[in-house]
Amino acid sequence: MAVKGIKTKDKHIHGLAKLVGGQRAILYHKEDLVAYDCDGFTIHKHLPRAVVFPKNTEEVAKCVKYCATHNLPFLARGAGTGLSGGAVPLHNEVIISLVRMKNLISVDLENRRAVVEPGFVNLKLTNSIADRGYYYAPDPSSQYCCTIGGNVAENAGGAHCLKYGVTTNHILGLEVVLPDGEIIELGQNGIPDAPGYDLLGLMTGSEGTLGIVTKITVRILKNPEAKKTVLAYFDNVTDGSQAVSDIISAGIVPAALEMMDKTAIEGVEAAAFPVGHPKDIAAVLLIEVDGIAVGIDEQITQILDVCTARNVREVRAAKNEEERARWWANRKTGFGAMGAISPDYLVQDGVIPRSRLPEVLERIEQISEETGLRIANIFHAGDGNLHPLVLFDARIPGQTEKAIEAGSACLQACADVGGTITGEHGVGIEKREEMRFVFKDEEIIAQTNIREVFNPGNLLNAGKLFPTPGRCGEVKKEMKEALLAQ
Amino acid sequence: MLLAENLLEELKTIIPQERIKEKDRKSDPLGNSGKITVLPVTEEEISAVLAYANEQGKKIVIEGGGTKRGFGGVEEEGDILLSMAEFKGVVEHTAGDMTLTVKAGTTFNELQDFLLDYEQQISLDPPLREQATIGGIVSANESGPKRLGYGSSRDAVIGLRMIYPDGTIIRAGGKVVKNVAGYDMNKLFIGAMGTLGVITEVTVKLRPIAKYESLILLSFEEQDLEKIRAFSKELLDSSIEPVVCELLNPSLSKKLIGEEQYTLAVSFEDVESSVHYQEEFVKKMKPDGAKLKLLSGMDAQDFWRIFSAIAPNGNEEESFEEAAVKIGAVNLTIVDIIKESRQLSSSFSVSAEAHGGLGHGISSVYLKGESKELLKAITHLRKTAESLGGYAIVKHLPLALRKEIEVWGKKPAYFFLLEGIKKKIDPKRTLNPKRYVGGL
Repeated sequence: MAVKGIKTKDKHIHGLAKLVGGQRAILYHKEDLVAYDCDGFTIHKHLPRAVVFPKNTEEVAKCVKYCATHNLPFLARGAGTGLSGGAVPLHNEVIISLVRMKNLISVDLENRRAVVEPGFVNLKLTNSIADRGYYYAPDPSSQYCCTIGGNVAENAGGAHCLKYGVTTNHILGLEVVLPDGEIIELGQNGIPDAPGYDLLGLMTGSEGTLGIVTKITVRILKNPEAKKTVLAYFDNVTDGSQAVSDIISAGIVPAALEMMDKTAIEGVEAAAFPVGHPKDIAAVLLIEVDGIAVGIDEQITQILDVCTARNVREVRAAKNEEERARWWANRKTGFGAMGAISPDYLVQDGVIPRSRLPEVLERIEQISEETGLRIANIFHAGDGNLHPLVLFDARIPGQTEKAIEAGSACLQACADVGGTITGEHGVGIEKREEMRFVFKDEEIIAQTNIREVFNPGNLLNAGKLFPTPGRCGEVKKEMKEALLAQ
Repeated sequence: MLLAENLLEELKTIIPQERIKEKDRKSDPLGNSGKITVLPVTEEEISAVLAYANEQGKKIVIEGGGTKRGFGGVEEEGDILLSMAEFKGVVEHTAGDMTLTVKAGTTFNELQDFLLDYEQQISLDPPLREQATIGGIVSANESGPKRLGYGSSRDAVIGLRMIYPDGTIIRAGGKVVKNVAGYDMNKLFIGAMGTLGVITEVTVKLRPIAKYESLILLSFEEQDLEKIRAFSKELLDSSIEPVVCELLNPSLSKKLIGEEQYTLAVSFEDVESSVHYQEEFVKKMKPDGAKLKLLSGMDAQDFWRIFSAIAPNGNEEESFEEAAVKIGAVNLTIVDIIKESRQLSSSFSVSAEAHGGLGHGISSVYLKGESKELLKAITHLRKTAESLGGYAIVKHLPLALRKEIEVWGKKPAYFFLLEGIKKKIDPKRTLNPKRYVGGL
C-alpha cells in the first residue's frame, strides 16, 4: 500500500516509510541521498537505497526486521564522521540513521553512570554534567559533532585515552538490535561483569557489523581537581620522541601527550586556530597532567627537566585556562587544518610501540620521498598512535592512488615494528586489505566466524572490516567446507 | 582403567613421558580434575594435546595454579587435566613501552616481582596472587578492591595468544595499548573460563608503581550504616582520587584489623604530597564516632597482601567446606549487600566475611558452614542481589553442592549468542565442559 506523499515505485520505500511514521522520516530521492554516499572517508562513494530516521528502538527493530525479511542490505549511521568508511553503503544499503535518537535518557551521578541514545553527541554529555563536576572521558577530536553510538561502533579514542582508556573502558551497558530485529540488553543496569562471554566488549568496536546499538550506559568520571598543560618545542624529532619516552619512564602518566611535526604545524598555523608555533621547529609536544593539585606541580617540574635534558628549544606551562583551551583547539582541529595547505589529505591511524617512534618517523619520511607526497604527522605520542596525513591533490590524475599507496605503506611500517594498522579510526573499507599486515588467515576466519553468529545473512554492513572475498580466508574456508562436504 | 591406560599410552606419543602424570588422589571434592595430568612446556605440546583430544572426543580440563578448582563445572574429572603450571616465564618486556608479554602459567606474584626492578606493575589486585596464574586470572576476569582505580583484567589485557580446541594458534589484540583492528577478540576470551581456548600468552599494559601509598581504615558502629553510605557518596563526589573505597563487613574487619565493625577501606596511590593531602581531606570529613586508622607505605602493602589471601583457595583442604560468591550490583547498593552478609549468620548456620566496592559495584562474600546451610545462604544472597537489579555467581563451592545450584544463575535472554560462539569455536565441547554459563 502506497504511503502518502511518497513518489516512487520502489515498494520497499513505502514499506519502510510506514514503519517510521511516513514520508518525513525517510529520504529516497537521489539528490537527498548524495549526502549519504560516504562518511569522513571520502575516497569511496556509493548511493544508499534510502535513509530512514527511526525515533526509537522499536522503530529501529521494525526497520531491521523489514530489511531482514526482504533481504535488503542495511547499515546504521550516526553523524557520519567516521574516517575509515564504516558507514559507506557498498551494496545500495538502506541506511538506518540514528540522529533522531539523540536524548540523554538519565544521569546518575552517585553511581557514576549515564544512559544516552546512540545519536547523542559526545561533547554534549560532558557539557550536560560539567556544572556538577563530572565528564565523559573518551574525547575524539570530532567530539563536538560525533555521536556516542558511532563511538561505540568504532571504539573511539581521543587525546586523553593515554590515562583514561578508550571507549570500551567506559561502556557499562548496551541495548542492541540484532540483525534479525531482536532486541537484547547487555550489561543490565550498567552493572559490570555480567555472567557470560563479554558481548559488551565484543560489540564495542565491531564497526556496526554485529548489531545496531540503540541505548548506551556509559561510565562518567569526576573532574580532576587540577589540570596543567605544557608546550615544548624541539629542533629535531628524535629529541621530541625521546622526551616522550623519558616522561613515561619517569613514572608520570600524563592525561595526554600529543606531538605534531613541522608539516603539521605549518597546517595548523595556516588554519582557523593558530597559536603562534614557530614555523622552523621540528616538533611540538603538548603534555597535559591532571589529578590532585599539590601533586601536579612536582610532575610539571619533572617534565620541564626532562625536556631540558633533551635539548628543548622552549618549554612552558599554559598561563591560564584560556591559553590551554587555545592550544587544544589548535591540536584538535589538526586534521581539518591540512585543508589550509593542501587541496586533499588522507588520514592514517597506525599504532606502534612507543619506543620505536624515531625509526618509524624516519620510514614515513622515506615514504614521503618515494611517493613525492608531503606527509604531516599528528599523533598521540604517549600511546604510540600515529596519524600520518598524506597531502595530495585529487585533481591531478594518479595522485589519489599514490596517496592511498603512501597511507598503506605507513601502516606497513607500523605493523613491521610490532604495531597495528588502526588505533581508533577503525578498519572500515579503507584498511580491509591491510588487515593482512597484522592477522593470519586463521585469525581473520576466527573473526568472521563470530560475525556469522550475530549476522549470519551478512545483510548488516557487509563488506567492511575484513579483506575482500576472492583473496581472503573466508573463501578458502568455504572451499574447504565444500570439499569436506563432498 | 583400560581406557585410562590407552589414553596414557597415546599421550606418551605426543608429549614427553616426564610431563605426564597419573592421578594420585582418590577423590577430588572440588572436581575439575583429570584422569591424567599433562604439564606442557611448549606451545607445540599444548597444541598437540588439544588436537588429539578434540579428534578423539576426549575432554580437557584446564588448570593454572589450582586456586579456582571450585569455580564452575559439574564433573569430578575430565579425561585430561591440562596443567599450565610449568608453562611460565616472561616472553617480552619493553620497559619503555610499558608492555609485558608472559606465558599463561606465570603466577601473579612472579610477574609483579619481576616488574619491581623497573618500578612498574600490572594494575590489578586479584585474589590469591601468590598461587593464581595470569592465565587463570584473565580467564576468570579477576579484579580486587583496587578495581576503582585500576580496572579489571579486561582493562589491563591488550593481547592474547590462544590455542583453539583443534590446535590452531590464534592471536587477539597485539602489543600496543590502542588497537581497533578487527573485532576486540580479547574480550571474548577474558572471563570465558577456558571454554573457548587455552590462553598461552598474555600481553598486558603496565603502569608505574605509585611513588607513595597509604590506606585509611574507618570503622563504624553497627547502627551507623547509613553514615557510611552518606560518607562514601560525599567522598566519591569530591575531587580526591581514592584507588579503593571498599566496605568490609564486621567479621572480615575483625579478621584483618581486629575491629568487629563495618570498616571502610580508602586508599591512595600518588606522589607523596598528593597522598598526604588526600589523607588530610578524609580526616576532615570523618564522621563523628568513626574510628580512623592510617597505614602507610609497607604497612598498607602488607594489609593488601593479607587481604589477597582471604578468598577460598582450591589448593587447600579447608576450602572443601567453603563458598565464595561474587555479586554485581549498582555501586552504592553495595552497602545493602554488605549489610545482608552481616545478617546471614543469624539466619543460617554459616559464617560470612564480605567486602564490596562502592565505586565499582563488585562484592565478594566468603562463607563457611554445613552444606545445606551454604546452599541456603547462597540462594538468599542471590535473591538479595537480584532484588537490587544485580546478579550473584558462585566462585567457589565443593562439587557436590555445585550440582545442586546454578553456579552462574539464570541463562541470559541472549544465551543463543553465547551458545553460537561456543559452537563455532569448540563444537565438540572439548574444553572445560559445562564449566560456564548455561552448561557451556
